[in-house]
Formats: sequence, structure tokens, C-alpha cells
Amino acid sequence: MNTLLPAIGFGLVTASILAVAGVGFTLQFGVTNILNLAYGDIMTAAAFVAYLVTSAGVSVWLALVAGAAFGGVFSVVLNRALYTPFVRHGTRLFGMIIVTISVSLIVQNGLQAIFGASFFSLNMPRPAPIHVAGMVFTTVQFAIIGIAVAAMLLVHLLLRYTKLGKAMRATASDPELARNCGIATDRVIDLAWALSGTLCGLAGVILVMNVTAFTDTTGSQFLIPVVAVAVLGGIGQPYGAMLGALIIGIASEVAAAVISPDYKNVVAFVILVIVLLARPQGILSEIATRKEVAA
Amino acid sequence: MSVAWQFYISTVLIYLGVDVIACWGLNLQFGVAGLVNFAYIIFQAAGAYTAAVLTLGPATRGGFQQYIGGAHLPFPVPILVAGVVGGLLAAVVGGLAIRRLRSDYEAMVMLVVSLIATSVATNQSGLVNGSNGLALVPKPLAAMVNLSPIGYQWLFVGITAVICLCVYWLVHIVTSSPLGRTLRAVRDNEQAAAALGKNVAALRMLAFVLGGVLAGISGAILVEFISAWSPGSWLYPETFVYFTAVIVGGSGNNLGVMVGALLVPVAFLEATRFVPQFGPPGLIDALQWIIVGVLALVFLWFWPRGVIPERRRRFPRPAEGEADGAPRRVPLFLRAGR
Repeated sequence: MNTLLPAIGFGLVTASILAVAGVGFTLQFGVTNILNLAYGDIMTAAAFVAYLVTSAGVSVWLALVAGAAFGGVFSVVLNRALYTPFVRHGTRLFGMIIVTISVSLIVQNGLQAIFGASFFSLNMPRPAPIHVAGMVFTTVQFAIIGIAVAAMLLVHLLLRYTKLGKAMRATASDPELARNCGIATDRVIDLAWALSGTLCGLAGVILVMNVTAFTDTTGSQFLIPVVAVAVLGGIGQPYGAMLGALIIGIASEVAAAVISPDYKNVVAFVILVIVLLARPQGILSEIATRKEVAA
Repeated sequence: MSVAWQFYISTVLIYLGVDVIACWGLNLQFGVAGLVNFAYIIFQAAGAYTAAVLTLGPATRGGFQQYIGGAHLPFPVPILVAGVVGGLLAAVVGGLAIRRLRSDYEAMVMLVVSLIATSVATNQSGLVNGSNGLALVPKPLAAMVNLSPIGYQWLFVGITAVICLCVYWLVHIVTSSPLGRTLRAVRDNEQAAAALGKNVAALRMLAFVLGGVLAGISGAILVEFISAWSPGSWLYPETFVYFTAVIVGGSGNNLGVMVGALLVPVAFLEATRFVPQFGPPGLIDALQWIIVGVLALVFLWFWPRGVIPERRRRFPRPAEGEADGAPRRVPLFLRAGR
């Protein structure tokens, strides 16, 4: 019991980061059907933006905003400048994988070329421990959970109660039908990338707030758990992703505590493979999985 | 030619041989059968590991490296067994993972398989000696032939070339035979191939296993040459390099793929290892990966079919009225070669 409760506490923190990243990933993937493997590296890039901001002596809260804004802008530009042209050019599912992996390698190694292969950490006030029901959190971890909950609430309100949310859900389930109903799917796709990128940037910054040091590969190592969260929840299902984040976050931290920290990520890997092979539509989705890329 | 140059050229040639065999294997899987194997590198790693332990001899208890199934087998045997192991592993992974998945999901599954394999190999030190890997693998035939180091380099080039020729003969037979035609049919239109009575699942499995065999053989040659093995050198970005090579060269075309292997892994990765270092450590590596990424993007945009594209196969239409007496009017949109 004495190792399990703290592990669940860590699990909640990991789940919060995973939820922000996973919801961003699933929204974009659901709407555009492009499996963006550069997502983790955009997280890292946002973390480096936050690093530059905090190194300049600005507060970590502004760094959070800067990282999120960078993620949003970068994603929209990436889609407009590279992904959409490739899709229009006739590149399809497998080709797009090669495109996104190329971008992933270029961003990751670009960061390494600029900043050097070294360890970095955000310049922020030293966190104090807080005890809650047998679990220990730092103030930073508390803030991470708060940020994640707030972000999830905002996404929920956006999707449920705004026209944009409705249009996004419509585009995710059937882009052609949505277009025929008069929805400007191009704009919806742009906004989906912007929203997804913002969450991606936010996730990147809170990810490195939670660790003592990060490198140019921190985000890409986090990618597979994020994809696992999105796939487990069902592609394009933000609520599924939230649930998936909770499951994978807690499962991986418990596995780290009970089995060995080396196998922390393997839990997410195994869950991902099993879900992809057994139920590729995820636990909450009824959307067909043999869709093509939305042009 | 100075000895240094001979070393350089022979080393690059051996790497070229290894990469060409690996690319042919990947081409059988991806180019010919349309299977997206993003775990390709682990089949190469498995072959390499097999060849290493079968050359090293039995592991001594308390020795500095731990591994399973050590033996002293004479030269060509470890390479052949490595091919068998690569094929068996492909049969296992293929049996689990080749489903009727969307190709990007299939790529994802394979990518994760690759990551799991790396993670297990690094963390279970009893299995493959953890992240340290194996070292001091004896060079094949080195004890028997009495050659100068440079003479041995050229002998190894010869061995690699002979294996390359055998492999080329094999892949040529596969791709130019009715089997190759059927595999391409499965790739291009699975439903149509199945409707013609082809066993789609078995055909894809066959291509997957053949690719695994070639991956194992290429890994074995590499490990016999560099005499060391570690999980850290077989990570998934290496698979991406092979994919880039196949796409750049011309997916589905054996000669094109050979050109791709010459251009991408050899010209961009191996040869640049020998240019003078500049900038902080790691900068050249980072730039290499950026170049490979840009290369993949450029080719997908401008030449998605590669330098030497796969030949469009045309089959002569039966002459009008030749078939069953009555003139056959094939609707224009169904005619071949359009």
C-alpha cells in the first residue's frame, strides 16, 4: 500500500499531461486523419520556447502561454505549408507517415543543432511538497493537474456549446457530408490544427515543468504514450482520450513502482498494440477506421 | 592507392553490400507486397545478434558479457542461421501484427513493436547483455587465412559481393516470377486478388518472412564485419533510413532500390562519417538526420516513384475475336494500360 498510493499520485500527474497532449492529438487526427508523428517534437519545441522565456527572467506562467501559442502557430503553419500540399498532391496514408516522420526528425535534430545535445531545465521557483490523502505532490504538480483540468473543461465547453465545436465534430465524423451541409471544412481544419497545436504546446511545457531536466528527445519519447491515449480512447474522441489518459497514466506509474521504472513506457506500448490489433476504433468510438485522409 | 584509402573504400563497399541486401528485403515487404514494416531494423538486429553469438562461442559463467545460445560455428553457418532467425521472427511478428489495418495504423503497430524490442533488449541484461551489447566477435575465416589487415578487408568485400549476388538472384526470381506478379496484385488491389482465388494472407506472410530472412542476413554480415553489437545502434530511425532509401531509389524496383541504398545510407550516412568534424559534438549527426528527412520529403513531392521507377507492366490484350469466337468489346474504362 505504501508504494501504491504515491504511485497513483504520480499517475494522476502523468495522466494530466497525457490528457492535454492526448486530447490535442486526437482532435487533430480525428478531423484531418493525418497521423502526425511530429507531435512529440512540437511539444519539445514548445518546451524550448518556454525555456528561452524563463531564461530571460520572465515568469513560468507567461512561458506557458508562449509555449502554447508557439504550438498553435507552428501546427497551423506546418499543416498549411507542408501537410495539406502533400495531401492535395496525392500523398496518402503511408506517404503521410513518411512526411510526418521526416518533419519529426527535422524538428528534433534542428533543436539539437541549435541548442546542442545537452540537458536543460526551466528556470522557476523551487516547488514545495503538499500532502494529500497519502499522496505527495509538489506545488508544480498541483498546478499541472489544475492546468489540465481547466484545459479539459475549456475543450469540453468548446466542443459541446459552440458552433465551432459542432462543426469540428461533424467534420471528424464525415468530412464530405459536413462540406455538403455548408460547413467551411477548410477553416474547421485550420482551427483544429490551431487548437491541437495549442494543447500540444501546453502539454510540452507542463511535461518539462514536471521533470528536472529535458533534452531534444523528451517530447518524442512521450509521443507513443500520447498516441496510445488517443487510440485507446478512439480517434477523434476527446472524452475517450481523457479516459485513456487516466488509464494509461496511472497504469504506467503503478507499473513503474511495482515492476521496474524501466517498464514505465512499455505499459503504454503494449496497450497501444493490443488496442490497434483488437479494436482499432478505440473504446468509445463508432467511427469507421478505414477512412482516407481528409483533403 | 594508399592503405588508408583502401581501408576507406573497402569499408564503404561492405556497408553498401549490407544496406543493399537490407533494402532488397524491405523492398520485398514494402515495395512489392505493400507491407509497412516500421520494425524492419529489429529483424536485422536479431540476425546480427544470432550471428554474433554463434561466432562468439558459449558464454562463460561470470564472463564480461552474458548472452544466450553461444556456439562456435564455422563461417557461413552463422550467417545462414541469422537469416533463418530473421525469417522466424518475421513469422511470429507477422502472424501477430499483419492484419487488415490501415497502412498508417500498421506502421504505428510496427513502430511500437520496434520500441518494445529496444526497451526489452536494453532492460533485460540476461538476454542480450543489456545496453552494453556484445563485443569482440571473431572475424570469419580470420584464423584460417593468413592475410594482412587490408587483404582481409578485400576478402570481406568479396564475401559480401558473393552474398549480394546470391540475394539479387533470389529477389529477382521472386519479383519477376508469377509469385511477384501476384504479390503486386495483392498490393495494388487486395479484394481483386482475393476474388481471383489468391490466398492474400499467405502471400503477404510469405513476403514478410522473405524480407525478414534478408534483414537477418544483412545484419549478420554487418556484425561479422564490425565485430560488435548493441541495442542502441538498431533504433527505429534506422528503419526510416531504409524506407527513405527504398523510396528514393524506386520502390518495387530491385535495381532502383540498389541505387537508393547507394545514395541514402551510404552516401549520406556512412561516407559523411569521414568528413572533418566541425561545430560542437553531435552537430554533424543532427545535420545528417535533417538531410535524410529533407531528402524523403523532396522525393515524395517530386519523384514519389523514385530514381528508377517500378516498370509499368503491360500485358498484350487478346486480339479482337480471338478468345471465344465472338468479338469481345471491352468497355474503354476497363482496358488495361490506361
